[in-house]
Amino acid sequence: MAATAVAVNERGERRHGVPLSIGHRLRREVRRNAAGYLFMLPWLIGFFGLTLGPTLASLYLSFTDYDLLTEPRWTGLANYEYAFFHDQRLGNALEVTFTYVFWSVPLKLTAALALAMVLDRSVRGVAFYRAAFYLPSLLGASVAIAVLWRQIFGGEGLVNQLLVLLFGVSGPAWVTHPDYALSTLIILAIWQFGSPMIIFLAGLRQIPQDLYEAASMDGAGQVRQFVRITLPLLAPVIFFNLVLQTIEAFKAFTQAFIVSGGTGGPVDSTLFYSLYLYEEAFANFRMGYASALAWILLVIIGIFTAIAFFSSRYWVYYDDEAR
Amino acid sequence: MKHLLSRRRFNGLLAGGASAAALASFGRFAEAAETVRLIWWGNPDRDQRTKEVVDLYMSNNPDTTVVPENYAWGDYWQKLATQAAGRNLPDLIQMDYRYIFEYARRGQLAVLDEFLGNALELEDFDQNQLDSGKVDGNLYGVSMGANSMTHVYKQALLEELGVELPDPTTWTNENYVQMGNELKGKLPEGMYFSANMGGNEPRFETWVRQRGKALYTADGKLGYGVEDLIDFFAFWQGMQEDGLTPPADLQAQATGPMEQTMMVTGHALFDFIHSNQLVATQKLVPDEINITMIPNQEDGQPGQYLKPSMLLSMAETSPDKEAAARLMNFFITDPGANGILQIERGVTGDASIRELLIAELSPTEKKIVDYLAIVSTSIGDLPPAPPQNAGELDRALLPAWQAVSFGQVDPQAAATEYYENAERVLERS
Repeated sequence: MAATAVAVNERGERRHGVPLSIGHRLRREVRRNAAGYLFMLPWLIGFFGLTLGPTLASLYLSFTDYDLLTEPRWTGLANYEYAFFHDQRLGNALEVTFTYVFWSVPLKLTAALALAMVLDRSVRGVAFYRAAFYLPSLLGASVAIAVLWRQIFGGEGLVNQLLVLLFGVSGPAWVTHPDYALSTLIILAIWQFGSPMIIFLAGLRQIPQDLYEAASMDGAGQVRQFVRITLPLLAPVIFFNLVLQTIEAFKAFTQAFIVSGGTGGPVDSTLFYSLYLYEEAFANFRMGYASALAWILLVIIGIFTAIAFFSSRYWVYYDDEAR
Repeated sequence: MKHLLSRRRFNGLLAGGASAAALASFGRFAEAAETVRLIWWGNPDRDQRTKEVVDLYMSNNPDTTVVPENYAWGDYWQKLATQAAGRNLPDLIQMDYRYIFEYARRGQLAVLDEFLGNALELEDFDQNQLDSGKVDGNLYGVSMGANSMTHVYKQALLEELGVELPDPTTWTNENYVQMGNELKGKLPEGMYFSANMGGNEPRFETWVRQRGKALYTADGKLGYGVEDLIDFFAFWQGMQEDGLTPPADLQAQATGPMEQTMMVTGHALFDFIHSNQLVATQKLVPDEINITMIPNQEDGQPGQYLKPSMLLSMAETSPDKEAAARLMNFFITDPGANGILQIERGVTGDASIRELLIAELSPTEKKIVDYLAIVSTSIGDLPPAPPQNAGELDRALLPAWQAVSFGQVDPQAAATEYYENAERVLERS
């Protein structure tokens, strides 16, 4: 708008020299930014072609009956109706997923914060330890680790061998027992504390040391310093990690897929939401219904993120804002 | 000053260039004339054999390019469905008996009848094997080999224990349980008499067929009653409680891949496989194994049938169906190709090829041929075409059984829930 106004003004005042029409200015503008757009092109193509396009397509498909082999058929809200009122396995999948989110996220963040505080000290070789503790996060989401997990917690796995060796008791096959299978996946998630840990570390570095000095001079112990200084000043970082990890946890797929051999078993005890969605789409050929499930998951994640954001005004304190 | 380029030279170059370009494009044309894409699921052994056949075909037909693609069973159908959605199916598709109806009726497969007698020479092919590739009267797939369900067992160990198997065509579940009880305590540490098959759909199918019923009726409804499933669950629960099968959490480790079966991990003397899988299973088990028939019920009808272990189908979207049909013919009827394939995909329906192969079978392969000879004296008809969503019900049987084996519900409750859900699922399609 502003540019147009200026152009009109200029046009009114021009006497001789190069006249500058709107089209002219626009072309000059484009030429000046062309390089920038060119550099962005790979991302733009990726975003429109591989993210936005499929996302919109899945919104359309969620209102259809689509088996991949024949053309989609419009069915209105039938998919959503089935999901909300008739799908028993979906209820189970939600229960499994919520259990996973509510346990794995707080435990993972606690582990990450605890290790970040240990690694915040200047000990010899701290860089090495940092890298070593970050390693599981690089490996953790991989298929190889999930396969390894299956072995460790299997009937004749490492855990049971240790149990026999140390206590003389033999444990069950943890990954294939419905009472314990989900717990092993939660442990696997906690073990991947690396990326929140790095973010916590950066956050801890931001806290001014003089606050601690002042507090200890006033006689505050370690615990009091942690509760009164570290936690409040770290709140924005905790909040950031919480939102990120919650979204991650809702989307958990690979570990459950590999550990259960793609079945979500035993007795659907590791049937995560995304695993169920995948099974409906590609094993049961209900791409339309699976698209509806994906949009429901999006809304669920959206709700939880919104709750986190609304609650944050009561517990997150930003340095640069007045309360 | 000399001209760099005289008119004559220029014209010569132009002509030469044009003809070179023409030749080049002709070359491309020739190369593109026949490209056939082929997709299959399998195991490393099968992949190796199939690729050798592809190479053989290409060296016999230099102007044809065959593009092979292969996956494990678990990934295969997802890949295929995605390709079908993208109108990008390979020309030749290894098909399964359960899925051929689904793909054929949804217009994804080409009718093969028009190639019979020209590109496809199936004069020597068994009629009943040929019929197994028909959907609604049209030929949509050619059987790559026959197989049947089996109980696989550790032959060497049984002989060592001095146990003789009863007549395979008449032995019953009671014989089975009795043998298990007799062998209790005599088996090696950690080994149980039998794998638990309470969640195994083909095993359940023999169970209902022995009772004169079927998994599905011809009009796509459940072909058995809930009491059949209750009895089935109760039978395997009894086996588990008597210590004849592994405990629930051990059995649950067998989630599909052959390496995880109780037979291969050394936890069972008897297990369930399909006959063509004996070759691959024997490669994973150190001591000698063999196959026998599924035990029957008292006064039961034949529960087993011969089915195509896999079929070869053609995509309706294939741009060059003639070329695809020629490659299909090569796989089914060429002696050289079948010399490489052997009977890894099952025993071929082509009588002349079968005679050629039987002459030079390995001992393990011979067991399969002998077994199918015994089975064919005591089999029923092919079951009616499975309905849509049959695959989903196959997968749902395992968790239903596991709820029983982990003691969460009794057979009655588990069977009723499964049965009601199955009726809903069939209605939903």
